[in-house]
Amino acid sequence: MMPRRSWGRDLRYLALYLLKRALALLVTVLIGVYLTIVVANMGGQVDDLRRVQIRSEAFEQVRADPAFQEMASAERNALVERRVALEVERLRLDEPFILRSVDYLQRAMRLDLGRAEQMHSDAGSRQVRAIIVERLPATLLLFGTANLLVFFSAVGSALWLSRRYGSGVDRLVIALAPSSAAPGWFYGIFLILAFAFLVPLLPPGGMVTAPPPDSRLEYAASLARHMLLPVAAMFLSSIFVSIYAWRTFFLIHASEDYVEMARAKGLPSRLIERRYILRPTLSPIITNFLLMLIGLWSGAIILEQVFNWPGLGSLLFQAIGFRDTPVIIGGVVIFAYLLAVTVLLLDLLYALLDPRVRILGEGRSGT
Amino acid sequence: MPDTLLQVEGLTLDYQTRGGVMRAVDDVSFDVGRGEALVVLGESGCGKSSLARALMRLLPRNAGGLGGRVSLDGRELHLLDDETFRREVQWQGLALVMQASMNALNPVVKVGEQVAEPLRVHLGWERRRALARAGEVFELVGLPGDFLRRYPFELSGGMRQRAVLAMALVAEPALVILDEPTSALDVLTQAGIMNALKRVKAELGTGFILITHDVATSSELADRVALMYAGQLVEVADAATFFTAPGHPYAQALMASVPRLRQRERPRAIPGEPPSLLDPPQGCRFAARCPQRFADCARLPPAFAPAPRQKVRCWLHKEEGMKGGMEGSV
Repeated sequence: MMPRRSWGRDLRYLALYLLKRALALLVTVLIGVYLTIVVANMGGQVDDLRRVQIRSEAFEQVRADPAFQEMASAERNALVERRVALEVERLRLDEPFILRSVDYLQRAMRLDLGRAEQMHSDAGSRQVRAIIVERLPATLLLFGTANLLVFFSAVGSALWLSRRYGSGVDRLVIALAPSSAAPGWFYGIFLILAFAFLVPLLPPGGMVTAPPPDSRLEYAASLARHMLLPVAAMFLSSIFVSIYAWRTFFLIHASEDYVEMARAKGLPSRLIERRYILRPTLSPIITNFLLMLIGLWSGAIILEQVFNWPGLGSLLFQAIGFRDTPVIIGGVVIFAYLLAVTVLLLDLLYALLDPRVRILGEGRSGT
Repeated sequence: MPDTLLQVEGLTLDYQTRGGVMRAVDDVSFDVGRGEALVVLGESGCGKSSLARALMRLLPRNAGGLGGRVSLDGRELHLLDDETFRREVQWQGLALVMQASMNALNPVVKVGEQVAEPLRVHLGWERRRALARAGEVFELVGLPGDFLRRYPFELSGGMRQRAVLAMALVAEPALVILDEPTSALDVLTQAGIMNALKRVKAELGTGFILITHDVATSSELADRVALMYAGQLVEVADAATFFTAPGHPYAQALMASVPRLRQRERPRAIPGEPPSLLDPPQGCRFAARCPQRFADCARLPPAFAPAPRQKVRCWLHKEEGMKGGMEGSV
């Protein structure tokens, strides 16, 4: 006989467990961000490129300035050198990269994302944070809508389908699953061709009509019209394989012994589905859902290009093209933090949902 | 038999397989009396678990036809539709303790809730009352009442088996089907479970069908024994008669294969293996392995020769009057 577990002990254990997990995740984020800093700077080689760029810019400025036209070339070169040295000192390029990388890391971890080197937001700010925040709503709206739609319709229809194993509909879904081999943008191209050009019902790209409508209602309507095709493209490209995957998942869990037992007990099928299939599998379902949610953050580079959607995917793509390291690092840092927070949240949810995680940590109580 | 509880006549169950239709349960007929324990004995793959599933209507996805007549307490179960069967027969009429009950409990729901569930679903009892009743049944099967609040992973294998047994008994069903209830447990735990079963049988007067391959364990509980071979029953007899004077050559060979204490003879294995159910032999299904076979055995299927305490499906027993066929209980 064992004493009942008290809530106080449960909570203390949970807090300790979460603290440990949080520390481990912080280290993970630290390593991830540092690796990104090193890679985005090409291990310091971007500094050499930057130095060359500074020199050529300084030379151009001096050459183009009428005030220095009369200077002797030696004097002019000295002026260029002075300017280069000043700029190098300002950017601290004279210090070794390894030192600066640690400095970057410190600032990145404090979410001090700094200023972009080349890019700026549409509002004109050079703050990396402003650039990212400006693009975030567009991406979240589009990918959030599409992914939530796919997730819930896939889980719902998969559960329905798992009851009809081997039926005509079941076989149809299996047959259609390979349709997801083509990415969303591939379907996007055909959808644009069909519904924007052959039958011009919907706009081929962009987020709202230009100029944007003034009234809120009209703005929302225009936004919805622009979202229709990209959402449809993403939905088409992932719905069948998602249903297929979830159906298989539910089929596996529906043949657990305890589900058989519930059937033998003569429980109504709704109750079996809720308490014996969904409840024990809630942890993996929620994991999937949350990972899908943070996956939204990265957007989708090609799809955004195809639909001319002003989102984060195309922003990061441009940043890589410009070698704008602060923007790249900024994007990764935020993603890493989101991922870490999500994983921590999942750890908490597992503990709440699954008694095996919650109680085993206390050590198995004697029997 | 004074009071028949369950009457099964000509029960068949087919499976669709890649190789064709397989008749796992072939024309099985037997009776179980009120408060009686019938042991269905047979080796792996003989169809004894399928028999349990057929009785419970717990059919796997590839199950084909289910035929025959089953009546429980005078009610014709084969005439009921699935919904009525689920609501009225499952768990109040018939309950099942499945093979592999180690995983028969939902890992994320407390044991008590699962044991009390049939009362709440089928009888509409409120939670407290159902849990109190579950606690009583726990005591009956030898579990402390406060184990109701535990999760399945906090119980050992034997305790889980007892909890599943409690779950089967909670709604006081007329008949409990036990499918290999002790096969995954060690000998001491097996003995504990068998003792719990004997106590339940004596106290509640529940009828049991105990399905097992284990001759030794089965002899503890059995009032009568039905021996199954290759999808068919080959002998149905009183336990005393069966264990001392088995009639069918297969039953004799089976008894000879059981090791006994203080016995000079070594246990003998049965040579050969059972026939494929996809293409069963025309005559007696045991003929190929039978030491007493003669010409007719492989050609003609034998029927049951009814006798007062023992009926045997074998040509050797023909003389005792084979006209009776399938009907008539022992």
